[in-house]
Amino acid sequence: MRPPNQNHWKSHLFRYEVLLLLVLVVEWLVFWHFGTTVNRRGVTVGFGTVDRQFDILRHSCEIGLLALALTPVILTAGIDLAVGSLLGLCAVIFGQLWHDAGLPVWAAAAGALAAGGLGGALNAGLIARLQLPPLIVTLGTYSLFRGLAEALTRGAVTYTDFPAGFLFLGQERWLGLPVQAWVFAGVAAGIWILVHRTMTGRALRVIGFSPEGARYAGLPVTRQVALAYVLAGFIAGLAALIYTARLGQARADAGTGYELFAITAVVLGGTSIFGGRGSVTGTLLGVAVIAVLKNGLATLPAVIRLNAAEELSGLLTGGLLLGVLALGAAPKFLSAWRSRGQSRRQPALPPP
Amino acid sequence: MIALMPKAKGNAYFLSCKTGADRAARELNVELLFDGPVDTNAAKQNEIVENWITLGVDAIAVSAENKEGLSTALRKARKAGITVVAFDSDVQPDARSFFVNQATPEGIGQTLMDEAARLMDGEGEFAIITATLTAANQREWMKHIEARLAEKYPRLKLVAVRPSDDLKDKAQSEATALMSAYPNLKLLMAICSPGVPGAAEAVQQAGKAGRVKVIGLGLPNENRRYVKAGVTDSVILWNTGDLGYLTVYAAAAATRGELKAGAKTFRAGELGELRLAGDHILLGRPFIFNRGNIDRFDF
Repeated sequence: MRPPNQNHWKSHLFRYEVLLLLVLVVEWLVFWHFGTTVNRRGVTVGFGTVDRQFDILRHSCEIGLLALALTPVILTAGIDLAVGSLLGLCAVIFGQLWHDAGLPVWAAAAGALAAGGLGGALNAGLIARLQLPPLIVTLGTYSLFRGLAEALTRGAVTYTDFPAGFLFLGQERWLGLPVQAWVFAGVAAGIWILVHRTMTGRALRVIGFSPEGARYAGLPVTRQVALAYVLAGFIAGLAALIYTARLGQARADAGTGYELFAITAVVLGGTSIFGGRGSVTGTLLGVAVIAVLKNGLATLPAVIRLNAAEELSGLLTGGLLLGVLALGAAPKFLSAWRSRGQSRRQPALPPP
Repeated sequence: MIALMPKAKGNAYFLSCKTGADRAARELNVELLFDGPVDTNAAKQNEIVENWITLGVDAIAVSAENKEGLSTALRKARKAGITVVAFDSDVQPDARSFFVNQATPEGIGQTLMDEAARLMDGEGEFAIITATLTAANQREWMKHIEARLAEKYPRLKLVAVRPSDDLKDKAQSEATALMSAYPNLKLLMAICSPGVPGAAEAVQQAGKAGRVKVIGLGLPNENRRYVKAGVTDSVILWNTGDLGYLTVYAAAAATRGELKAGAKTFRAGELGELRLAGDHILLGRPFIFNRGNIDRFDF
């Protein structure tokens, strides 16, 4: 079965992605032009350096992973507010397994991934099996996971001094790129295939359009929805490992607020919060647009002088989201307006 | 170009550090960046430091919120040839060249005891309110207070040390109990910041302002009311403006190679000659906020 108007919304989404790409290119050129300088020693510094571009990759990797994890979830018309907290919990569990339980680092990492999957399974059970609303369930686990992370460390313990082999994942380069960029690319490719090239992906979208319809059509709705949340938890565990390797520390406050950045990226990427329509390409563009904006602002001399990079990036991300959404909605609005104009030109029917 | 990072950008404590840092930057004719997180996202300090590295700053001075994580980024900065100093809250020793130490336990203990003795005219009974009897910093301060007492003030008598669990209400009830148990009590000394307003509130409610004096460690803003009402005589901390000023001087001198590892003293503009203990640059004696100067500070 096909969702209604599939071709229509696909072309709409494509136009929207081109628009986002355009925003990204403009952003990049502006920062490259105004944010790059040569310092006293004759060294090029600022936005137009390879290191800076790699920093953008490294700084956006965890939020990017969470955004990828959220894309299938939001396609089913669900939401997962707990991914940031689960990241924190997995980071703490990783630290404990390695430091306190004395496990080898690979085993601790496997444990953290498993913990992520379990956390996701808790969401999945409550949402898919018991049919509770995702917003409420994950609002609950959002507090639960963070609270658990704080309880496990009594809010005070910081795990650190991880072996160099593990820190490699977050701080070094492999084949010319930051190591985590490869992980990110792998996950992005996997999610892209899942969403756009498999029956599961199609089922997720159908469920997003109409869960009842999907059930009548004989789709395993419970299993597919559950899969989306378990996968999200698992990816949150992976993000926790990368986060811990990048900072060289695992603490209960890891990933605080990341869920909202990730949701913003997904929605900016054109995925409908009501489910059914969206694309992984859009999510990737959404992540890139926000990451470049956030990083690039801190290279503009005027922004540096005001010390306002963070405030401005928050302001502009919000403005951008609203602006791009409005632009994306403009054609629909225009056509509706035009057809209303046409109907008004038709002669009025005589009263009965 | 020197980049200065507080734990949190809008925090009044750090804004008052910044006033001194700005003054030092003007005197030294260096450009000063001041940026830090606006929220408690632990990765934010790292990302700002990494952004500064590619911005090509000459020196970075930080107050660490997440010590271990920030050290990772600072080591990277040092590898890129950037001078790194810490102030207010230290990072791991291999991640910076110097730590600007705002107050040693010895300096705090001695200043508290000397100020108490001055207010008591060198004789009488006093009591101490702590956070807990076991906290490491409290015990360290107690050790220096007791040493100073034994060494210089034989006619002062410490009658009781009571914990307040770092709560203002508990400090207040402990202070009330102490005043009734020791009617000759001349002074209450609180060595945790909620303890000072707590003790002051108890003294004020008992109508004993002036007869039982209050001093302690704390921030000007939470004690301003009691200082102005004449209940609390002295609030002891360090001069935050001087801390920012010294930090910028140290960062600039270390960048220019004028301040090297192993130095014993360091001349920092209007602060004059300051001592080093290892790689700690010591700001010197704590600062005493009282009725005469408290309005010059807002944090």
